[in-house]
Amino acid sequence: MASKLIRIASYQAESQQELSLRQAFDLLESKLRPPFPLTIPNPQEYTQLNQAIIYGVLIEPHFAKIHIKHLHAIVVDGYKLFLTLLVGIVNELYGKFVDSVKDQLIWVTREMIDVSAVGIDGLLVCLLRQIIGGDFSDGNLWLCFELVSVCLSKWDCLLEEEPLVLTSALYTFLRLLSDHCRLSSNLELGVLRQLEIEFCVRMLREQFHLCLKIGRDLVRLLQDLVHVPEFRTIWKDLVLNPTEFRIAGFSDISQLYCTRTSSRYFLLRITPEMETHLRFLLTHVMLGSQKRYQTWFAKKFLLGPERESLVVDIVRFLCCAHHPSNEIIQSNIIPRWAVIGWLLKCCRKNYIEANGKLALFYDWLFFNEKVDNIMNIEPAMLLMVCSLPNYIDFTHSLLEFLLLLVDNYDLDHKDILIRGVSSAFHTVVQKGVESRRPSPPRSTTLTPTLGGPTSTQIVMDDAKRTNDSLTQEVKNLRHKAQLQEVEQERTTKQLKEVMAIAEVETAKCKASHQDTTAQGRSQSL
Amino acid sequence: MVWLRDIVPAAQNNINTHFILLDKGKITRDGQNKMCLALAGDKTAAVHLQLWGEECDAFEAGDIIRMENGIFSYNRNNLVLRAGKRGKVEKVGEFTMEFVETPNMSEIKWVPDPNNFNKYVQHSVISPHSRIFPPIP
Repeated sequence: MASKLIRIASYQAESQQELSLRQAFDLLESKLRPPFPLTIPNPQEYTQLNQAIIYGVLIEPHFAKIHIKHLHAIVVDGYKLFLTLLVGIVNELYGKFVDSVKDQLIWVTREMIDVSAVGIDGLLVCLLRQIIGGDFSDGNLWLCFELVSVCLSKWDCLLEEEPLVLTSALYTFLRLLSDHCRLSSNLELGVLRQLEIEFCVRMLREQFHLCLKIGRDLVRLLQDLVHVPEFRTIWKDLVLNPTEFRIAGFSDISQLYCTRTSSRYFLLRITPEMETHLRFLLTHVMLGSQKRYQTWFAKKFLLGPERESLVVDIVRFLCCAHHPSNEIIQSNIIPRWAVIGWLLKCCRKNYIEANGKLALFYDWLFFNEKVDNIMNIEPAMLLMVCSLPNYIDFTHSLLEFLLLLVDNYDLDHKDILIRGVSSAFHTVVQKGVESRRPSPPRSTTLTPTLGGPTSTQIVMDDAKRTNDSLTQEVKNLRHKAQLQEVEQERTTKQLKEVMAIAEVETAKCKASHQDTTAQGRSQSL
Repeated sequence: MVWLRDIVPAAQNNINTHFILLDKGKITRDGQNKMCLALAGDKTAAVHLQLWGEECDAFEAGDIIRMENGIFSYNRNNLVLRAGKRGKVEKVGEFTMEFVETPNMSEIKWVPDPNNFNKYVQHSVISPHSRIFPPIP
């Protein structure tokens, strides 16, 4: 019998999860209509009954209320099993669900909120994860609309039972608003946008203590929305008038800067399928064999007019939510920095590339050894160092971007940014992260960027105190910068020389450092 | 399930295996039938896969495919793996499978086994990897 739950294309294998639900339904169908038996099911029967009811609720909208009454009558575990099963099929099958099943899924979610089911937070989070950033298809916008409506209409209940779900929803909708506020032509999108704004503003104005739990990435998201009037006023209060939020102890935006954002927020913006593919890439695919995988990934997830904005979410995920084991670090498996470099190179729009770089360096700006994880800043360092031999311009542009951030990201808190970036440099150097660097002080062609800003010197000065090789590098850089001002022509020549030297050094390093570097790193991490 | 490394040309529909589709050639027409040559691989070897009829549009590069009762034999001088009329191919996943592109079982010269003329044995390597679908540099 064909599935009423999912669309199965020709030549597609059946889903085992769908099959087990369907079999339970077929087996128990006659018992799913009143009068319901009064016997108490044994554990196996209980599981089957839960499976059958899920299948019934999803494929028989006209009987859904009866199925739910049945569920209320038999439930002995606070709906835990029911929700676990639902989360399982959403994670595996959401994209294949027929439309009426999606409607039912939202309906049953509301029912489960009303009874404060055990694990409702997990169900809402897994539904939020099915919303795809940068996707303006009807199906995706429908899901945004349904979920923001659930959050608004079930506000009181969620606030009381699962307030952190609202925080997760805030992260999600702030991020989505940066998409939805960019295109403004369509009427339906306008309605959705208003709902999303209403929800986010309500969170920020009424439940700011929950918003604070997001940490520094809340600022990153809000900044993308300062052009929207509703958020501009919030932003102004955040910067100029923090007491407006009436949170005891919250007196400055820097308190957000100092809070590292938990990885669960980054997972919210990556679908389970994307997560599986990225984690596979970073645990199984050898450096040098990644081309086909990258093509498939880009075709599936990044192709399409606005889909590119996902790059920013993926970079945050890679830096903060996927930390490879020492075993992987020592192997030839493709490292995170290489994937991030590829993603940044994929960007066709400048503002997305800039946001991608901001995502890459974001934890550098506020780095504090006590609360931050070195693994979050490691990819940026390695990307800069490892690009030196063959993509020196890229290293150049990354470093330039970092220095621009220090100078301009927040003029009122420049001291924090300088301290953060210095401390990040200090930490990566101390822990030997940059020991994979192909050619130590040869990065002299970075001079043009390092010539101007004074903060550069402060940043570099601080790092200098802690590390000899870096000190030497900085001296070289500054020296070369002066030279360059005098003699522009020589730069091109120097660049060529340095690139040649870098190539030779790379070869040497490859030969001699391969083993020792890996060992050194594993010990230090 | 057998590894692609272990398949041997034979006139039998008895190969049960799974692999990831790496690349697809152009779909051509042969009278009523559509045909398409593709490159498939697992972590031991690669092989040329012949898709027929609706199979040509049903699969894309990156798909993980399970084959039941497939046949590895010469088809117009090409040594190809295919489901054939008695076999079956089904998509079971995407992306999450390792592969190599060398050796390519279709780029090996096979000769009858001197001890058993019903069997083929490897004689020499014609090309380390597919000449039709070269590796991406």
